[in-house]
Amino acid sequence: MPWSRFDSNYRAPAGERDLAFVDAIREATDQAMCLDPRVFAMGLDADDKFGVFGSMRDMTHPERILGTPISENANTGVALGAALTGMRPILINLRNDFLLVAMDQIVNYVAKWQSMFDGQCAVPLVMRSVIGRGWGCGAQHSQSLQGLFAQIPGLKVVMPATPYDAKGLLLSAIKDDSPVMMFEHRWLYKNTGPVPEEMYTIPLGQGQRLHEGSSLTVVATSLAAIHTLTACEQRGLDVDLIDPRTIKPLDMDLILDSVSKTGRLLVVDYDFPFGGVAAEITSRVCEQAFDRLREPPQRIGFPEANMPASGPLERAYYPTPDTIGERIERWIGVEVCA
Amino acid sequence: MSTAELDTINPADALRMLRTMRVARQMSQRIAKLYPTDVMETPVHLCIGQEAVSAGLCCHLTDADQMLLGHRTHAPALAKGLPLRKLMAELYGRTTGCSHARGGSMHVFDPEHGLPGSSAIVGGSIAVGVGAALSSKLSGSDFISVSYFGDAATNAGVFHESMNFAALKQLPVLFLCENNGLSNVMPVAEHAAYEIAGVASQFMPVFRADGTDALSVYREAGKAVRQVRETRAPVFLECTTKRWMKHQGHERDDLEINPIDPVTDCPIARLERFMIGASLITPREILALAKEIEAEIDDAIEFAERSPYPQPEFVEA
Repeated sequence: MPWSRFDSNYRAPAGERDLAFVDAIREATDQAMCLDPRVFAMGLDADDKFGVFGSMRDMTHPERILGTPISENANTGVALGAALTGMRPILINLRNDFLLVAMDQIVNYVAKWQSMFDGQCAVPLVMRSVIGRGWGCGAQHSQSLQGLFAQIPGLKVVMPATPYDAKGLLLSAIKDDSPVMMFEHRWLYKNTGPVPEEMYTIPLGQGQRLHEGSSLTVVATSLAAIHTLTACEQRGLDVDLIDPRTIKPLDMDLILDSVSKTGRLLVVDYDFPFGGVAAEITSRVCEQAFDRLREPPQRIGFPEANMPASGPLERAYYPTPDTIGERIERWIGVEVCA
Repeated sequence: MSTAELDTINPADALRMLRTMRVARQMSQRIAKLYPTDVMETPVHLCIGQEAVSAGLCCHLTDADQMLLGHRTHAPALAKGLPLRKLMAELYGRTTGCSHARGGSMHVFDPEHGLPGSSAIVGGSIAVGVGAALSSKLSGSDFISVSYFGDAATNAGVFHESMNFAALKQLPVLFLCENNGLSNVMPVAEHAAYEIAGVASQFMPVFRADGTDALSVYREAGKAVRQVRETRAPVFLECTTKRWMKHQGHERDDLEINPIDPVTDCPIARLERFMIGASLITPREILALAKEIEAEIDDAIEFAERSPYPQPEFVEA
């Protein structure tokens, strides 16, 4: 299996129980469905025995898991209708590229329904989708479109990087009375880390510091956060690493606090660069803490080009812990490490 | 129409339909009159000529039944129970409107009467109606839903996707096509290479009614709604009707392809003739009803006019 090659080195500090990222998603979904009969899941292959890369297998309530035709636009409208009339749907898309088929429903309907009616209704709808490059999957199966959706008022966007966050953020998303999109990087699925058995939530809009340092603030999302952490640990980089966990709402307090300390900002977000999450964070820091910056901010993301398929091109296209680490070393040097 | 219709209609329902249609008609006429003064800063898609469809349908629905509308909202929303005051205040952009001045003419909302919202991107709300039916099924509830749309919405892929979904999952939803024969200014023959009911019949049972005849709609909608409730599965009802006004705005339609006969095409005149013939109402009573409704419209306008506009800081709420 090609996926087996894509295991990041990241391991969270040992806890009572280690769980894989994918199992944390499965556990959160199962516990939510057991807790609340209004919670149900739907999507192409959601009810398949492999269950969305394992995240939906062996569920306690299969009667509330609906396999759907590959009609993403209608599926999204159906989920909205169910959310408006008392249910709490989890709509799953196997790859976020398929969200684009449902842009009308996501942008014109789901995102706007509450504000068009002045918040008189709840829209407790979770839209899970998988992001990440594949095995020569090419331009239509490798995108990370968080920036596109974060631009739309009315959508919350979460991107867990650790198993702990995957469970806590998904439960927060299911609990929330507004639409939440969760982007899950496929390469994180096998990562393991401590995850409590009981249900817990992580506030939407609360980031975390993954690595302590004083020379450079790196804000990194999802797999990019894990890649940056790997670079920091392998190279001993003096980096203050912030994982916002939620793209929208964004924990600007935590980011500004870090930039105030380091005076330098690098944003690592695996998405197209033009007008994306990295551009937004960079722009906000410039607007709100320009006087704290000692040097111009920098960004790492995808090139301004669509994804290639061939192995050598893929390896040239995607950032890695090494390319991130080298960029940081070139900037702040290696000798200043804590 | 013959008095044989009397066997199929409850006199109270006939009166209810007449009142519902007259409220929609008289309000639309008032809007058309006021519209050039710009007191309503919102597009209006008037329902004149099409009132029988929602009036006949809604006789068979309860407040618990959910109805998802498109952009042409006024008559169906009023028929489902949206108070006149709340609709008028929304058109006037006031905070007392059904959507608190955030929706406008195309986005009406009244959950107490089974209106969870409406949408102006043609076709999409069909899927939302199917979702309400899924809710009913998953929660073990009794209510049904109605996806209410026009003939042009059948051009959208989501129409076909939604029928497929509802049929596959056996959901209690009525697909109500109010076919006025026009997509903006394009006749149905030019926008659909298929026969709408023919396409629908591949997914579910189909009923058809004359949408300019309230009694025909009442009868066929009654059968269709009953079948949805009994089978808990989707049913299609197509009501052919005529749009008297332009797609949007206060002016009469003047398309050659859309000739209107104000007597034979008028659902209100047709029902009134029938009711007078069947001794269900007198001309004098109709006049009194019309006056009563005018007073209600006066009240709704007065309510809207004295209601506050939203404050500018409301823009980021």
